[in-house]
Amino acid sequence: MGGATESESKDIKHYTSYLILTNNPMVADTFSEQFPIEFLQEASDREVLLRARDRVHLGHRILTAPLSGSVKPGETPYRSILMTFEREEGVDYFSLVNMERALSIIRDFETSPLANRPSVDRDYQLVDLSLMESALPSLEISGLA
Amino acid sequence: MSQYKVVHYINQFFGQVGSEEMADYPAEKREGPVGPGIAFTMAFGDQAVITATIVCGDSWYNENLDLAKKTVLDMVREEKPDLFIAGPAFNAGRYGVACGSIADAVQTELGIPAVTGMYVENPGADMYREKVYIVATGDNAAGMRRVVPVMAGLGLKLVKRQEIGASIEEGYLPNGVRKNFFDQKRGSLRAIEMLLNKLHDKPFVTEYPMPSYDRVPPGPAIRDLSRASIALVTSGGIVPKGNPDHIESSSATRYGSYHIAGVDDLTSETYETAHGGYDPVYANQDADRIVPVDVLRQFEKEGKIGKLHDWFYSTVGNGTSVASSKRFAMEITEKLLAQGVDAVILTST
Amino acid sequence: MKLELGYIDIHGIRFGDRNAVEDGILILNPGPLIEQVLADPHIRQAHLEIANPGESIRITPVKDVIEPRVKVEGPGGIFPGMVSKVDTVGSGRTHILRGMALVTVGRIVGFQEGIIDMTGPGADYTPFSKLHNLVLVMEPADGISPHDYEKAARMAGLQLAVTLGELARDLTPDETEVFKTPRIAETFDAALRGLPRVGYVMMLQSQGLLHDTYVYGVDAKRTLSTIIRPTELMDGAIVSGNCVSACDKNTTYHHLNNPVIRDLLDQHGKTLNFVGMIITNETVYLSDKVRSSDWTAEMAEYLPFDGAIISQEGFGNPDTDLIMNCTKLEKKGIKTVVITDEYAGPDGKSQSLADADALVNAVVSTGNANMPIVLPPMDRVIGTLDYVDTIAGGHDGSLRADGSIEAELQVITGATNELGYNRLSAR
Repeated sequence: MGGATESESKDIKHYTSYLILTNNPMVADTFSEQFPIEFLQEASDREVLLRARDRVHLGHRILTAPLSGSVKPGETPYRSILMTFEREEGVDYFSLVNMERALSIIRDFETSPLANRPSVDRDYQLVDLSLMESALPSLEISGLA
Repeated sequence: MSQYKVVHYINQFFGQVGSEEMADYPAEKREGPVGPGIAFTMAFGDQAVITATIVCGDSWYNENLDLAKKTVLDMVREEKPDLFIAGPAFNAGRYGVACGSIADAVQTELGIPAVTGMYVENPGADMYREKVYIVATGDNAAGMRRVVPVMAGLGLKLVKRQEIGASIEEGYLPNGVRKNFFDQKRGSLRAIEMLLNKLHDKPFVTEYPMPSYDRVPPGPAIRDLSRASIALVTSGGIVPKGNPDHIESSSATRYGSYHIAGVDDLTSETYETAHGGYDPVYANQDADRIVPVDVLRQFEKEGKIGKLHDWFYSTVGNGTSVASSKRFAMEITEKLLAQGVDAVILTST
Repeated sequence: MKLELGYIDIHGIRFGDRNAVEDGILILNPGPLIEQVLADPHIRQAHLEIANPGESIRITPVKDVIEPRVKVEGPGGIFPGMVSKVDTVGSGRTHILRGMALVTVGRIVGFQEGIIDMTGPGADYTPFSKLHNLVLVMEPADGISPHDYEKAARMAGLQLAVTLGELARDLTPDETEVFKTPRIAETFDAALRGLPRVGYVMMLQSQGLLHDTYVYGVDAKRTLSTIIRPTELMDGAIVSGNCVSACDKNTTYHHLNNPVIRDLLDQHGKTLNFVGMIITNETVYLSDKVRSSDWTAEMAEYLPFDGAIISQEGFGNPDTDLIMNCTKLEKKGIKTVVITDEYAGPDGKSQSLADADALVNAVVSTGNANMPIVLPPMDRVIGTLDYVDTIAGGHDGSLRADGSIEAELQVITGATNELGYNRLSAR
């Protein structure tokens, strides 16, 4: 796999419907009215990425970076990904490369979260929510992928 | 202070037995240091002494691997050394492979720390750098004087169980383990110096080599499958019953080409798997599960594909070396192209 | 642009009944300063402490490190758009209290990062162990959101740093340095011809809560890649809102003292022609990444650069931006060197970066952030140890019964800074 650039989608598509794939209850609650949510309750962050990868094979595209945030894999248990809702013919290579690359990193790290204290857990949820929220302005303007 | 005991492994040339014509010299143990061992003795000072030197022909080692390893290990075991040194082999390929191999065996089977040395392009380097500390040398023996103290120093650290620093500090070939250390200059300055070298086309060394992904651009799509000739190629190890070509169950050194004109179905009477890396039950019951001849025949009859190619190619992809795989692929591809095949379905397990 | 920096060297900090700098000692009356901090209702409690190099002190959880500066001459004030009003800075004269820093400490979220040890093995890995630190420990008002607290803590730190900086206004500097950055037209002067045209692409963390950077008060998330004059950073045009992953985030102190800028300016006119600097962000939305990197590459070609240093901030997601920026510049024929840290796992065997490309063939590594480290107990802790187990790089049981900490290098503020501030590297 080379850099992401060599497979950046050259065809512009405008999407109008999206879904959020997440294991973060805070994200599921916050966006439940705006987007269809695939909520993988109690799934690990790796399981969320695997599901996203599977969806890419089914013809969805990813719109946000799978490894978003600098809280390292293995620290935060939460991961949320914004994807296109419609399934298209064929597989978007850019989405696939990004997913596989993210998965190879997650595999290297242990997935046990650092601490199971409820307050810390809530904080991880909050930061993950904030990362998803930061994608929205770009989404609202054009829905370009 | 008691000295550490060292055993030194060298080849027939450095052992002063002879050069290429004596490469089949069987392993021989001699007392004390021989040849470059003298230089090591000086480098060790009063900290260590070479009690024995094993002189071994490069061909003898490489062509009698199991026997050679056992023989040399027995010799080393007898000496009960604290440290084992091999080479340095510089750019001599078979010598480098032998050094890497025996140093690895000594470490793994006798639990004795080992150090060797060779040039970065020596085939032994890539093969063993992640298993054994290999000190980086130049490509010829003129570098002996510089290299011996580095090997000796690293060896002593290993014996004393001291912390081994980064490859660049200790002089060994990067071995896949990233280690931190404090450089002389701060990162921003190093970056500028590196950039200036790059801009002036001067050599520079990256501090982090990118992992090299073997990029294969996908071929163009088949426009009309109904006219295409499709071949089956597999690393799943499916072979005619009895494995007539004796394809190895692992580290395969060959592949087979098998005629399937008129064959609609692979059965447990006619085909089997030679692959040693998975449970063979289901493949033996029905080899179509690995090489889907039955389905493709069906498609051929239905006109979905133009033709199932008359030959399928098979090897065992279990510990197969990258080099072998590349070689098989090149040869198979040439044959397929010569026979006008349009596409290949590659199956594995 | 021409900026003169005047350094007032600080050799110690003391609490007293007034605010002044006397004979290199910073004297502070903490009461009124604390009142200033508590004027923000989001902060329930705050106090100041002092930590000097070599003392057996552990400061944690560190939010930001800021150097007090003041604009003596020239337009604008320090931290324009954040504390001072918006005005283009980077010219004139600025005074600096050198040898000290303001360290803000407070729990924003439970996995709040950042340890600074003033002595011991941990001290070797952070530049802040060599400074006289004034530590502002803050506690949030009950029930406020992390967003509000982050902002309050950030502003408190910046404002206090400005207040302290004021003390340097009328002092005579112990040392001065002048920096001149050329206009584009000047980069084509005869004297500079024959020197390679070198640029600096600085990537800024910009992904969300605890992942933000501010440029003249603008959230970098919504910015397009743009040009900035290097001396603007020296007056605080870029400020950190980033407190995830202590080891490789750029504190405000790092922004003020950007080493790539310093070293490039040092060599300008000698070995290279420092043409200019581009700042670009690291986002969550994928097509934003494409846009930002395309824009950066276009600008680099426009100026033009022959070569560029690219520094990043963070790990994982930013690695994709890093590879995009680098490969796009290389494809335009602009030679690049990338400065990044590594996440090669505690055993050093994992893949160091989350992305890769063969074109990225010149990398300066600022170290493996996963390196295990044991930090011995310190006599005094400023802040709290409650969160050590959970800060990035720690783990359950990180904090041992004797007060020592078993964690990864990640926990130490500034340890693997990707501006190349430190000498740490890896092979």
